Amino acid sequence: MTNPSRLGVVGVFFAVLLSVLGLRLWSMQVTNANAYEERAANQQVKVVNTPAPRGDIISADGVKLAGTRSALAIVVDLALIDEDDIPALAENLAAFLDESASDIVEQLSGSNRGAQVRIATDISSSQATFILEHRDDFPGVAVIPQPVRTYPLGDLAAHVLGYIGRPNEEDLLRDDVKPNDFVGRAGVERSYDVVLQGAEGIIQYQVDARRKVLSLSAEAPPTSGNSLVLTIDSKLQAQLQDSLRDGLIQARSLEMKERDVELSETTRTQRIEDALVEARAEALEILAEELEEQTSDLGVDDNDVEPDVGPVTVDVAKVLGPLSPLLPIDSNGVCVPVQRVSIPIEGTGILSGVQQRVVRFESVRAEGDDFVATISLSGERSNVKRNGWVDEAREVLQVLHVSEDEIILLHKDRWCPVRATGVVIDPNDGSVLAMSSFPTYDPTVFVDGLSDDQWATLSTVSAFQNFAVQGQYAPASTFKVVPYVLALEESYYPIDRGSGDKVIDVAEDDSEEVQQLPLLSDTDGYFCGGEFRFPLNDGTFQTKRDWKWPGSLGVLDLHGALEASCDLYFWDLALRLWHERFDDSGIDKENLLQSWARSFGFGTSTGIDLPFERSGLIPDSTWFKDEQRKGTGRVRPDGGWVGGDLMDIAVGQGAVLVTPLQLANGFAAMVNGGTVWKPRVVSQVIDSEGNVVETNPRAIVSRVNLDERTVRLLLQDLQQVVNNQKRGTARGAFKNFGPNVELVGGKTGTGEIIKNDERFRQVDDALFVGVAPINRPKWVVSVIIERGGFGGEVAAPVARQVLQFLLNGPESVTVLAPGLAAD
Amino acid sequence: MVSHLRQRPSSVRMIDEPLKPDLVLVLTYLVISAIGLLMVYSATAPRLEARGLDPAAELRSQAIWVVLGFIVFAVASTINLVELKGFTGPIYIGAVFLLVLVFPLGESDGIAQRWIDLGRIQFQPSEFAKIAVILMIASVLSAASTPLKWHVVARVIAVVGVPIALIFFQPDLGTSLVFAFVTLAMLFVGGATMRQLGFLFVATVIATVGVFQLDVIEDYQVTRLTAFLDAESQSLDVVYNQVQSEIAIGSGGLFGKGLFEGTQTNLQFVPVQSSDFIFTAVGEQFGFIGSVIVIGLFGLMLFRLLMIASRARSRFAFLVTSGIAAMIGFHVFVNIGMTIRIMPVTGLPLPFMSAGGTVFVALSAALGLAHSAWIRRNSPVGSD
Repeated sequence: MTNPSRLGVVGVFFAVLLSVLGLRLWSMQVTNANAYEERAANQQVKVVNTPAPRGDIISADGVKLAGTRSALAIVVDLALIDEDDIPALAENLAAFLDESASDIVEQLSGSNRGAQVRIATDISSSQATFILEHRDDFPGVAVIPQPVRTYPLGDLAAHVLGYIGRPNEEDLLRDDVKPNDFVGRAGVERSYDVVLQGAEGIIQYQVDARRKVLSLSAEAPPTSGNSLVLTIDSKLQAQLQDSLRDGLIQARSLEMKERDVELSETTRTQRIEDALVEARAEALEILAEELEEQTSDLGVDDNDVEPDVGPVTVDVAKVLGPLSPLLPIDSNGVCVPVQRVSIPIEGTGILSGVQQRVVRFESVRAEGDDFVATISLSGERSNVKRNGWVDEAREVLQVLHVSEDEIILLHKDRWCPVRATGVVIDPNDGSVLAMSSFPTYDPTVFVDGLSDDQWATLSTVSAFQNFAVQGQYAPASTFKVVPYVLALEESYYPIDRGSGDKVIDVAEDDSEEVQQLPLLSDTDGYFCGGEFRFPLNDGTFQTKRDWKWPGSLGVLDLHGALEASCDLYFWDLALRLWHERFDDSGIDKENLLQSWARSFGFGTSTGIDLPFERSGLIPDSTWFKDEQRKGTGRVRPDGGWVGGDLMDIAVGQGAVLVTPLQLANGFAAMVNGGTVWKPRVVSQVIDSEGNVVETNPRAIVSRVNLDERTVRLLLQDLQQVVNNQKRGTARGAFKNFGPNVELVGGKTGTGEIIKNDERFRQVDDALFVGVAPINRPKWVVSVIIERGGFGGEVAAPVARQVLQFLLNGPESVTVLAPGLAAD
Repeated sequence: MVSHLRQRPSSVRMIDEPLKPDLVLVLTYLVISAIGLLMVYSATAPRLEARGLDPAAELRSQAIWVVLGFIVFAVASTINLVELKGFTGPIYIGAVFLLVLVFPLGESDGIAQRWIDLGRIQFQPSEFAKIAVILMIASVLSAASTPLKWHVVARVIAVVGVPIALIFFQPDLGTSLVFAFVTLAMLFVGGATMRQLGFLFVATVIATVGVFQLDVIEDYQVTRLTAFLDAESQSLDVVYNQVQSEIAIGSGGLFGKGLFEGTQTNLQFVPVQSSDFIFTAVGEQFGFIGSVIVIGLFGLMLFRLLMIASRARSRFAFLVTSGIAAMIGFHVFVNIGMTIRIMPVTGLPLPFMSAGGTVFVALSAALGLAHSAWIRRNSPVGSD
């Protein structure tokens, strides 16, 4: 026999092995049983979420601006059908919905087994009935109710409302958002998304390993979201939108008139003469400098030398502005900022314009990742790539997109008035009563799905952006209220230049060593000539010209300077700050103007409950130096920060930027005695029964201690801008206001945005800020018409209509007409 | 070497005592088989029902095999191992011949070829080869004196080498490992020196590693064998099996979800549950308590087998019974170990519980032979 003790070893060995099994089972079934149970439970259920209806958005006067209706959607539950049935089902659905069967097959087979796939979102009830009556032809197909966002008043307050869409990556970081949800993408739809969203309902099914549904295990209905009550008044909003639209149309037709004048024969001659005069003056100046050098070297008296510049030439083609006839126009013959032209390969497209042109897309070849297209424009052939210009010299025709079979061109008019933006706020609590920007859009397009064409048309003019908070503009002369308040509060006035010539030459004053004494009070007169020459840090000189140049505004005190919008007064005030920046007053005079601007909320976001708000910019010495060091190209590269920069800030030009909302809010703070409110568009959150869930009370951002006299004088002068029939820059726009015009105040502004060059003349933004009633302000209206022209001529009439509506009622609003061409 | 077991004169025994069965062994065998049938039913009924078939269909066909197995067990119990010893050579040759048949002729079952199709039923020759090899090794070793000479060890290796090679190329790695383990165990109890055993153990390890390294086996097998080490990468089907099995057993908890209440089982989360993963049905429905009882039953069976071996009247019977114990023990550990993810997926069934005809019948035959050693433990030795 053999060794029985070895048998014992085998026995022990088995005992050990079986114990190992027992221990592992203990750890699984006793110690970690809960974890396994959870894993088992999780894989045995399928959860289908039922979307919650979004809350409504209601205007202050109780009009529903956004709501939800119940639509019918077709879903295919893949758990209920076999894979082999998909092609036949897709065929039936395609025939029923008039869509392509292969698309549906793709959708269905691309989804997880057991998923519910939405095939159509908004079918009619007769379609639904058909499906229900023909169950056998549509296996696994269900018709389910589906909340759909509606905007009953179309584009009314679109920029405030915003729109909804599929979440982006950032949205998906939120716990409550899944890829198939709709989330707010702009406006209050976005900023109050969590409030509006509601809670999804849940239907939980028991499923087997093949995800086949066995039974319903739990169900919870969705809870609809809460509703928002806005501070927006729907009727005022409608008026603002009408006025902005009409204002933009008017600005464009004024622009067309100007172009007609430019094209007329007399203007041509005049322009050539002007150009010659200018060229001669330039040549003379150069010559004079050269001579001065020579004479000082030789010690010769300069009177003996007769300057002779010889014949001067100008490029006639450039001077004549040959561009206008080539720029795009609409069917009414009015300019449009951009015309989108899409041309198939070997096809032709028409570029609109007074002189129509034909473009042909001849051929295309690949070059790396890019395509190079050969196109011919009026017979002239050129090769272009994406983003390139077809006409380098003019920069009118740009390539947006090239592919093998299509080219899309943007026919641009960078000088055509492009947009009108306006805000009405209550200066006593920061409520936004109306806010809009034209061109606008109907948020419903995002619910239905946007066609490429719609998207292209709207997005090329940035229609989806809320320019009231996202647009940044030079405030121009509207900003003069800041140095105005500074002057009164600090008793700080410009140097008395006497009442001299049309030209104030600071250099001459210096050379004659005249005692430089400032004006002593706000009523001291200042000669507001047309031109201002002053020395820079490095000893060279700079010349600035008032908007009225070559005219003159005459002698004006501080009040007159604001009413007539005299640049020189405020330039000189800034220059005095500049010269005294190193004095021993202990005040940072270099940045005094900026800190006054900031105290009214300029340069920082107002904190309004809308997304994407921009902060604007109030440049100070540090900012300037930083920008120069970094070489960002926003300021001169060298020479440091000079007096001219501070002078620009005083009149709202240069690097200063504000949003239309900041402008209204800043004025509100000044006219209400110094309270900077945090603007708001939502006043309350209410539940579906109408109970108030939450209020968004008015909130103070900061308070400025303004002298009661300052406020009173400011209001008086703003009133004079509108009512002073001699010099008020807005008097033309308010001529036919009707009753209560004396209760209206305001300030015009004209912001230079494109300097004149050989291609085109200067283009300005038109601005106006209105305040009413002037004795106890309840409304502040800011209007900006981008590339519109003079504020007094184009922007003020828009505000005039809004103020007529507010002061005298809807019936009193008179037809829009251009005001005076005044800054 | 003379055993203490043969103290009393055999003639007296033969006259005095009738052939008494080992009730414990028989009862464990019957209880395990009954639990097996119940588990097969609980695991297959929901699947069959879901397909609109008779939920008892699988139970019925398995029950036929079980009854057949019982008969084979009873018959094998009466076989006189001493007489059987004379037939080990032909049995071995026959088994090898059947394996050769599978080699070119085998029905392709997915990827592995293991079956011979006999019309309505399929026959797995490797199951019977296990028994043939055990008998053959026992025959070789019983004739040799202890401690074993190297040439005896070499003969044993030759005996087991042929079927391993054939099975390995089917390919069936699990069964090959069964042969290796059984051979080692039989050599161990058969009196091999520690040096010989050490050599064989190292050789087996080297051969196994070599198989992996030399790409002799298919990638899918390597994946199956190593997947259990990293089950969280759930992309592989193999891993899915083991993870679902683990979830089923773990979620059973202490007392289990109750018979026919296993959600993982009823919802068909565990693939091939009725055959290779039958233990998940036990673990989920009867929990830790039930699992330990089943393992305990197997432990009892193994204990009885070793007991029988120790009382065997001949060295041949001793070796056969030890070999059978080793074979059943290895199956039990590797199979249950696979379902709780401490062993790789090798496709070894759980003895007397996994659904499958050949396996049940073959293991019943093996158990019957061991049982016969008990019944005849006091018979005369004969020409040993």
